[in-house]
Amino acid sequence: MRQTMLKRTLMALGLAAGTALAPISATAEDYPSGSMEVVHQFGPGGGTDRFIRAIGEPFKSISGASLVPISVSGGAGIPASVNFEQRPGDGSSLMAIGPEQVINHALGRIDLSKYQPVARIQYDQGLFYVAPDSEYQNIEDLIAHLKDNPGDLKLGVTGAAGFDAMLAGLWNTTTGAELTLIPFEKSSEAMAAVLGGHIDVLYEEYGPVRGALESNELVPLVVFSEERLPVLPDVPTAEELGYDVTLGRWRGVAIASEAAPEKAEKLYSIFEEAVDADSYKKIEEQSGLQYRSELIGPEAFQEFLENEVQVYTEVLKSLGQI
Amino acid sequence: MLEGFSDALLYMLGSPISFVMIIFAVIWGIAFGSIPGLTGIVGVALLIPFTFVFEPIEGLLLLGGVYVGSTFGGSISAILFNTPGSPEAACTALDGYPMARKGQAGRALGLALAASAIGGLLGTTVLMFAAPPLARAALSFGPPEYFALAILGVTAISSIGSGSTTKALIAGLAGLALATVGLDPITGTERFTFGSATLLSGISFVPAIIGIFAMAEVLQRYSEGNTEGQVIKNVSTELPSLSEFMRMKFTLLRSSAIGTAVGALPGVGATTAAFISYSEAVRWSKNPRAFGTGEPEGIAAPESANNSAVGGSMIPLLALGIPGSATTAVMLGGLTIHGIIPGPLMMTENRDLVYSVFIGMFFANILMLVFGLRAARYFARILDLPYTLVGPAIVVLCMTGVFALENNVGNVAIMLVFGAVGFGLRRFGYPIAPLIIGLVMGPIAEKSLRQGLLLTDYNVIDMISRPITAVLLTFSLLSLIYGFYGQFRKPKS
Repeated sequence: MRQTMLKRTLMALGLAAGTALAPISATAEDYPSGSMEVVHQFGPGGGTDRFIRAIGEPFKSISGASLVPISVSGGAGIPASVNFEQRPGDGSSLMAIGPEQVINHALGRIDLSKYQPVARIQYDQGLFYVAPDSEYQNIEDLIAHLKDNPGDLKLGVTGAAGFDAMLAGLWNTTTGAELTLIPFEKSSEAMAAVLGGHIDVLYEEYGPVRGALESNELVPLVVFSEERLPVLPDVPTAEELGYDVTLGRWRGVAIASEAAPEKAEKLYSIFEEAVDADSYKKIEEQSGLQYRSELIGPEAFQEFLENEVQVYTEVLKSLGQI
Repeated sequence: MLEGFSDALLYMLGSPISFVMIIFAVIWGIAFGSIPGLTGIVGVALLIPFTFVFEPIEGLLLLGGVYVGSTFGGSISAILFNTPGSPEAACTALDGYPMARKGQAGRALGLALAASAIGGLLGTTVLMFAAPPLARAALSFGPPEYFALAILGVTAISSIGSGSTTKALIAGLAGLALATVGLDPITGTERFTFGSATLLSGISFVPAIIGIFAMAEVLQRYSEGNTEGQVIKNVSTELPSLSEFMRMKFTLLRSSAIGTAVGALPGVGATTAAFISYSEAVRWSKNPRAFGTGEPEGIAAPESANNSAVGGSMIPLLALGIPGSATTAVMLGGLTIHGIIPGPLMMTENRDLVYSVFIGMFFANILMLVFGLRAARYFARILDLPYTLVGPAIVVLCMTGVFALENNVGNVAIMLVFGAVGFGLRRFGYPIAPLIIGLVMGPIAEKSLRQGLLLTDYNVIDMISRPITAVLLTFSLLSLIYGFYGQFRKPKS
């Protein structure tokens, strides 16, 4: 009697488990759905947080699923990666990735093969700037001075051993016009330092310093991109000067590598539509991101990532970090 | 200038929604400030999407109001439960909670509120009339000056606390040592992380202070065994009398000036402002040993400083487009979405907006008095419950709050460890203020020292002989000598 009771309970449990499993198999068809969390390593209200919210709006109206940014900040992005990797690998969680993940991979702190690239959405470009009263009002003068006096001028960057430092390291090894790196914690500190004359040169993306450029508080010297910025037609690219330094900060999303590749394709097709939405276009323009951003899908993004890993590994080696 | 004000005022009167926004924002801000784990930054970040449907002016008023409210809000829970709701309020707990334990919770809250409002109004006034020149002046602060400022804060360690100077120094040095955990600020190398992903971010400040204040307090109360008896009774929050205010006028003015100035520096924020003005209040006090035991000036100094830092941090934002704090950095992001590019031209191109913000912040500080008083009364009712209910509730709230901060379980572990540390320190008579000052100032001192040395090609004399740096360092050294001299002269008891 007691045994049949047990059997029945087990059967009931099995049945319950069966019904519980049913919705999971159903998700394959109506993926994505519900609210999908997007882990990122920056603070709430920061650029990446706003990016997820901005693209999330058209994403929701297209797919019905909403993107919820989850900020796991600090620790050079490692805690964010740990958080993401602990989640179920069914594609229900996304991770916002950028150069930081490539750097962490090159340093052996994370393994990028656990990430399945979905789409690279934004691609930014940075510039070197000096104060209006600087002795070096164009890049040729700056390079000429630095070649004779390597390390004489100080370059302010944001973050220690982050993207900015990689770009500066690449600049130093490529050009031989060596700048001394001064890492600041926040970009606002670096900007205040160049305006106050404490450092000689500032590296920053175009968007955050637009106000200072329009009021002639800063003078742009060189842009790191394949082409000149339409708004700054007189500023040469590093490539034009004969130096192959085109690294740019980019933002993309990835899902776990064990998720089905169809899911990445599905997400990509939604992003393809979302980046054309007016609301997103507007935000992209206001951040000065419209010039270089070009959406690329899972395969192209994978290739891009592999190339980035090579570049950053080279830079890190030249800096003696690995 | 007057025209700017009248235009902005006319605009605001023509759109009453802006006043409704400020009222809502201040209440929202107080709530976010008072709950551990929900900080002003989160409060502002959550509201940014809602500003899209409004004009930029209303949007900015909303965010500014939250910023004002949240900076005060943290002190409510700091005073009543020894649980700083926001990092800016950590310093307030040092004297606020001891005063509350003496049965004067209402007085402590009233003091905090009045000091906050005074600081906030003074900071806003400076913002209104002197933003462009002050923003330029703030630019003269480079890494060497930040270093001197941090040293100035650290040297007060020797004079804080009623116990022995040796113990204060040990606690202070422990704080400085703990501040070195995490990624190296210049090279990005891991230090003392022992392979832990959590420690990569260093000893996060909020989990550490919640542990050292709130957790340690709960442990202490249970170890004393008087969990039944209600200690803090009959909280009737009242604003301090005019005569009490006049006695503290120098402290209030000094702290508000420090708060505004420190707030305007992009490298440091309201938390640093609160601790530096606390240190200065100790240094200038006739009775420095009373600090930490419920000294009124120990509440007035940090509260007026952190609220004046709100106005201060708007100075570089509005005048130069450089955010003066983490919260204003989030606000800047919100402005950009509205198509406003903060920069030196904003003061002329968006004059209505800038002047509306001035008026709105003024208004928000006055509203804070009204709603702060109410909020404090509601919160104080919790004290009528037996501690057997309140204690565990504090533990649960702190754990969820600390987790929610960065969505990181590791932070909960840091909080628990620091709860034990705080409990131990008290057991053996070590003051906690120096430890926390070390934790706050340590990272600033280290980072700016190394940046400064890089800037001067490792020429120490070049670095410390810069005018502001030299003055601040000399002042620190003199006060240190004076402090030890006083200690030496003191009759042995």
